[in-house]
Amino acid sequence: TSFTLPLLGFEVDSINSVQFSNHTGYSHWKGQVLTADELHVLYEGIKLNNVHHYDYVLTGYTRDTSFLEMVVDIVQELKRANPNLVYVCDPVLGDHGSMYVPQNLYPVYKNKVVPVADIITPNQFEAELLTGKNISTEKDAVEVMDLLHAMGPDTVVITSSDLPSRLGDRFLVSLGSQRHVRPDGSRTTQRVRLEVPKVDAVFVGTGDLFAAMLLAWTHHYPTDLKTACEKTFSVMHHVIQRTISYAHELAGPGRRPSPPQLELRMVQSKADIEDPAIVTEATVIS
Amino acid sequence: MECRVLSIQSHVVRGYVGNKSATFPLQVLGFEVDSINSVQFSNHTGYGHWKGQVLTAEELNVLYEGIKLNNVNHYDYILTGYSRDISFLETVVDIIKELKKANSSLVYVCDPVMGDQGAMYVPENLLPVYKNKVVPLADILTPNQFEAELLTGRKINTEEDAIEVMDLLHKMGPETVVLTSTDLPSKQGDQFLVALGSQKIKKPDGTNTDQKICMDIPKVDAVFVGTGDLFAAMMLAWTHQHPKDLKTACEKTVSVMHHVIKRTITYANEMAGPGKRPTPAQLELRMVQSKADIENPALVVEAKILQKSSQ
Repeated sequence: TSFTLPLLGFEVDSINSVQFSNHTGYSHWKGQVLTADELHVLYEGIKLNNVHHYDYVLTGYTRDTSFLEMVVDIVQELKRANPNLVYVCDPVLGDHGSMYVPQNLYPVYKNKVVPVADIITPNQFEAELLTGKNISTEKDAVEVMDLLHAMGPDTVVITSSDLPSRLGDRFLVSLGSQRHVRPDGSRTTQRVRLEVPKVDAVFVGTGDLFAAMLLAWTHHYPTDLKTACEKTFSVMHHVIQRTISYAHELAGPGRRPSPPQLELRMVQSKADIEDPAIVTEATVIS
Repeated sequence: MECRVLSIQSHVVRGYVGNKSATFPLQVLGFEVDSINSVQFSNHTGYGHWKGQVLTAEELNVLYEGIKLNNVNHYDYILTGYSRDISFLETVVDIIKELKKANSSLVYVCDPVMGDQGAMYVPENLLPVYKNKVVPLADILTPNQFEAELLTGRKINTEEDAIEVMDLLHKMGPETVVLTSTDLPSKQGDQFLVALGSQKIKKPDGTNTDQKICMDIPKVDAVFVGTGDLFAAMMLAWTHQHPKDLKTACEKTVSVMHHVIKRTITYANEMAGPGKRPTPAQLELRMVQSKADIENPALVVEAKILQKSSQ
């Protein structure tokens, strides 16, 4: 976030919810977490200087319900200060059928966080969890996205799903849905579908990059979810390709790269972040 | 370029000081930056209010342990700046010593932040730690005149004094010293300040040479925060590109500073309105907007070579 969004011209104020040596996928990790109180203190400092004016708020992975509830309070106050504020929320709960945060975060997301979100980026598991509905077909996915709209956000992107891709089993399916109010007051919904190449590796941080880039590209294309998604998924593709090539070089032939070797090649991907060549075309679906 | 920097500096939620000032420019120039945030504050301490938390020496050690346990404690550069805590600074020294053992080519870029304009703005007991422990490990040092005088115990009244002080600093450790600002009178008049630099280089035949330069830098009528941090980061970047050419490294560094500062003061004056002095919030460096200047700074200053002697 703090490199990629400024590259695209955004001023980013960042509150670090933890400071760890590295992500928790390495063999070892050490560091300190920020408490809900400490978060509040930092926000107080911003407020006392009367600079608590933001166009966007972006949040991701949290493990702590009181921290998450403090985030909700802050978002609500910032929305009062600027009613046009857009809250981009990655509701990080789990993946592939299991939760990887404490279970008691789930009601907080469902009842407090998602209702104040404007853009959410759940994966299939998170979308199913939040709506209580399973996704087995594209029709299910559309219904789930409509249910999520009804909970709050006008823009929903299901970042990955197990739906079978038209391009075969080397691809996964992502879907997006955006509600607009037309000038005449009537509502319309644009829905898109993308076939995204699978990569045979576990990346960490890609969801965070995705949410940040969706913020950037929906900012430039606020009523064109098709283009915003094409750009976002294309950036992801370039960064991931560069990363996996480099990781294999470092690991050597026939060996699986390690977590440090798989760190995203962010700095090296500057040109792709600034101006992504489009590598995937979204299909508009009804 | 595969170059990894460990930067141990402050983090502010809003604004550009410490790691916020150093990290984006270095990444834009292709450096991998690992940052340890020594504090997390809402904003720098020049605003009306500031709030936040500090990292203890223990906590710093724990973070470093994490890096070490994963066997990724390999860096090409270390960068440090403002510190208020002796035990924190001493832990930084221990970490640097260990990293230098892991990589004997490691370059430690040190901004010995202690004060300016004749007054210290850190606790006095940091001076002996800088003098006896930190500076001896440094490879590149970016003191202002006051800090250079404190470290060497010598006053700078003339250019000759400045040269002697830089030579004394070389003897303490660093091969590259830049006096980032002085009160010396500039030949271009009182709208300019004088900065100087000195670099010791070993020639292929084994003999030593040194390059000494000076620059006249336009003064700006405002108080900026974070500029020293940006300066040290850019010195790291441009000495990396020009390791034996202090003249070019300094011209590029000072030029980047000029572009960022000019953009910042223009914007700040716009925001403040005619006849009003901009606030600290309005004077935050226009870092994001200066990306092109950071990537490829148009030169706006020419350094003069003072002496190039061989021993």
